[in-house]
Amino acid sequence: MKDQIFKAYFDATQKVFNLMLNVSEISAHPSEDFKCDDEVDIAIGITGDLQGKVIYRFPVATSLNIVNTMSGMQFDAVDAFVTSAVSEIANIISGNVLSALSENNMDCDILPPVQCSLDDDKEYGINTSCRIDTAIGEVCLEIRLNRAA
Amino acid sequence: MLWKDNYEIGVPQIDEQHKELFRRVESFLQVLRSQVSWEEKVQKVNETLEFMKGYVVEHFRDEEEYQKSVGYPGFEAHKQIHTGMVDYVLEFSKQYEQSNHDEQLIQQFGGKLLAWLINHVAAEDQRIANYARKKGDELK
Repeated sequence: MKDQIFKAYFDATQKVFNLMLNVSEISAHPSEDFKCDDEVDIAIGITGDLQGKVIYRFPVATSLNIVNTMSGMQFDAVDAFVTSAVSEIANIISGNVLSALSENNMDCDILPPVQCSLDDDKEYGINTSCRIDTAIGEVCLEIRLNRAA
Repeated sequence: MLWKDNYEIGVPQIDEQHKELFRRVESFLQVLRSQVSWEEKVQKVNETLEFMKGYVVEHFRDEEEYQKSVGYPGFEAHKQIHTGMVDYVLEFSKQYEQSNHDEQLIQQFGGKLLAWLINHVAAEDQRIANYARKKGDELK
């Protein structure tokens, strides 16, 4: 189950980065190697057969590269525009994941993106994280989910 | 440029409308991100919001008509995405007016609009094009 969900997120990230940012090569690595002091953390809540959230950790450099690539303009600092744009990217990736989960008979929905902290004292049956490397920077995914009772 | 030729779906009317949307959004972003004072930006921002409220609805209607004409099976789901965006623009517009033209709000709107538009045209609309091409090939 954990591997299936992780694969859905990895594939969706690959697809969205390819279509929207023309970045075709991405690779997965252990999250222990993700070292970042300054990042934009976006949580997408999940309801339905799976319940919990996925946190997308975008380092500032990755966030700026994403927005610069999409807009063709130069953004030098994270502000409301950049945060909103990367939040929408997280939302789009999660939307793609829903289709993959649905094909595996898991009926889920997502909540609007919110900026969040990583702290969380809840228990999760599926609690995994992964660093994804791309040509425009790293992203770390924190998957924290439970199966609905 | 924001527009990329590979966004074309091969239907001249729809492609022209997409190009116009991208032109307007690009021009909007240039003003939004320029160094001029907020007071100087407000007029262009307000013009763009008015344009979005009108042109986007018109474009979505034309695109939905095309989808129906080719029997696109994802029509209902695609229409829901359009409705969701129109509702978002209208709701945002109301909030923006109520906030007395708050700049942070419009910056948030700009970021979402940029990502939403690229994804919608580069991914969602391409599915219509792929379906129409496949159907055309089958009829040959």
